[in-house]
Amino acid sequence: MSDITYLPGKEPHENEHRLIFKNVDRKGWDPKIRTYLAEGGYEMAMKALKMKPQEVIDEVKASGLRGRGGAGFPTGIKWGFIPPNNTKPVYLICNCDESEPGTFKDRYIVHQDPHQLIEGMVISAYAVGAHVAYIYIREEFPEAAIILEKAIADAKKNGFLGKDIQGSGFDLEIYVHRGAAAYICGEETGLIESLEGKRPYPRIKPPYFPAAIGLYMAPTIVNNVESLCHVVHILRMGGEEYIKLGTPRNSGTRIVCVSGDVKNPGYFEIEVGKVTFQELLYDMCGGPKDGRTLKAVIPGGSSSKILRCNETFQIGRGDDAEEMTFWQLPLDFDTLAAAGSMAGSGGVIVMDDTRRMSWILNNITHFYAHESCGQCTPCREGSTWMKKVSDRIEDGKATPSDVQVLEDIAYQIDGKTVCAFGEASAWPVEAMIDKFRDELVGETSDDNDTRSAERIAQEQFLSSVPQ
Amino acid sequence: MSSKIEAPRPRSIDRSKLSYVSPSAPKDREVPKPRLIDRSDVEYIRPVLTVLEKNVHSPVTPGVVHFPQFKITPTLEKAANKRIAQYPDDQRRSAVLPLLHEVQHRHGFISPESIEWVAEKLGIAAIKVVEVVTFYPGFRQKAPGKLHFRVCRTLSCAMGGSYELMGKLCELTGIDRGSADTHKDPISVSPCGSYSVEYAECLASCGTAPVCLVNDDFHEGVTPEKAESLITQYES
Repeated sequence: MSDITYLPGKEPHENEHRLIFKNVDRKGWDPKIRTYLAEGGYEMAMKALKMKPQEVIDEVKASGLRGRGGAGFPTGIKWGFIPPNNTKPVYLICNCDESEPGTFKDRYIVHQDPHQLIEGMVISAYAVGAHVAYIYIREEFPEAAIILEKAIADAKKNGFLGKDIQGSGFDLEIYVHRGAAAYICGEETGLIESLEGKRPYPRIKPPYFPAAIGLYMAPTIVNNVESLCHVVHILRMGGEEYIKLGTPRNSGTRIVCVSGDVKNPGYFEIEVGKVTFQELLYDMCGGPKDGRTLKAVIPGGSSSKILRCNETFQIGRGDDAEEMTFWQLPLDFDTLAAAGSMAGSGGVIVMDDTRRMSWILNNITHFYAHESCGQCTPCREGSTWMKKVSDRIEDGKATPSDVQVLEDIAYQIDGKTVCAFGEASAWPVEAMIDKFRDELVGETSDDNDTRSAERIAQEQFLSSVPQ
Repeated sequence: MSSKIEAPRPRSIDRSKLSYVSPSAPKDREVPKPRLIDRSDVEYIRPVLTVLEKNVHSPVTPGVVHFPQFKITPTLEKAANKRIAQYPDDQRRSAVLPLLHEVQHRHGFISPESIEWVAEKLGIAAIKVVEVVTFYPGFRQKAPGKLHFRVCRTLSCAMGGSYELMGKLCELTGIDRGSADTHKDPISVSPCGSYSVEYAECLASCGTAPVCLVNDDFHEGVTPEKAESLITQYES
């Protein structure tokens, strides 16, 4: 593959290992099917259609692929959850509702290499036995929706979609369904509700996961764009070969999106666990801007817990325990979980010493207050309260006890909601207070009035009235 | 003195002494018969627009509205039928979002008339369409300007200067965002009606912050200094 050249200034870093992003920013590449077919496109789909569906599932299980959407659940195992005695139609949904702040990988896959996604969907649909698949794409990608619809029409014209694909007897239709700017639609049961034409209130699970009862009460598999694309490469390399990439239990490559206060923010496809924060932020992103030092990093989208750059962590248990500084942490699912955060969706947001943490916290709480769907009371009310308290801290009108109030609210949401949005909104607040309590308390003052403006006006009025 | 406190034991009830009341009603009482209404001559009234208009904001937009009034045209019907065909026959409700997108794309916002049309098209109650329209921030109930700016305000873009970008856009187009609220009234329209601005949550291009959408076009790295050229680019 040495003949691949990239656009000037967009060349991959030497630490990268490009599978999914092989064609992103490539010289002479366009999203047309002709270009994709010239590079051996849809060969893996043809290979899969000659295998048995169970063999495809086994291959994906053997690869150890973990979902790239945020939770890191093994994809092959998810596919295996479809009830064996199922008589209803099975649906496959591609979750392209990429809305986690800090993540921007799916945008490039869909804009620049849509056929890779469609090929991955053909293989996955064949493996799980789905004949109808939907791509749920967020409303903010209007151009991507057009590109995808064009790509689907082209694939159909070339006989890779539709009835009896290439004489295999397998039928598949893929449709594009546009969302409408709601973050909660990224949650798989919320997405299913939205696809059914309702408000996207997530469903209670367990007992029924979408693989058992999903879209239209039928078994449904929901996978992230990146996970579906990996399936193509797993078939090309074979599960045994694929698992050698990355580290044990964290196999393959993943796309890390870096944004914020570094010299060269952007996307990097790395082997999971082979790159540390030191290498990522200094070697690949060029380090902090001139004259600044890095202060804190959000490692996996804004829902993950923030990490301080001068922290040390105990990784592992018992005799295997190892002390690691923040800079030594490798970017994989398990290490980041051991460090008290999560790899999430791979969106790394970097903050330097010029950033005030109260300001960062205020921005994050505003996001979650806006995006809470309102189904569960702790999250609906709590996210708005957190926004109001953080507004007060940001405005310099808070008292030291407000920081405690904020922490209390966060712990009241955590674990008490139907979906993971509750945790997603509470964790950043919990972690921010845990790691930067002194800084937040420093922005408050004992002299501040704790009463609201209405209360003050009321009391002034009452005191002016003769008793 | 014993320091142990014994836990109170549950009282055991001798159930043989209890006399149960028979659940069956005494025979001499007459059981009221359910009243049956003869509905054959009841004339049903189609839900009228005025009811809906109470639930949906009416478009209050200053200046000129740049979009054609909602009208059912053959092209709209054709586009709608194509969308409905994507879903199983008994699940037409799924097409609510695609149909509303078709309407919004052509007419700028979702009017009460269009809600009626979508409901009728899908054979569902109008309120089921209203609840979708009022939930999703992607659907507008107010006409935007000819140029609608959606500026990303989430963390990475905010660090890159999107609040300043919004300030600059408002300054250049004469928009007063004083009363704007991200929940209830997110869109602010300029006095001339040509421009409108709105904050969006994460447009998923954090590496090239700050970013914004102008109508359906995506723009990266729009620093506040570039705000002016962004507007003039569309005016020529």
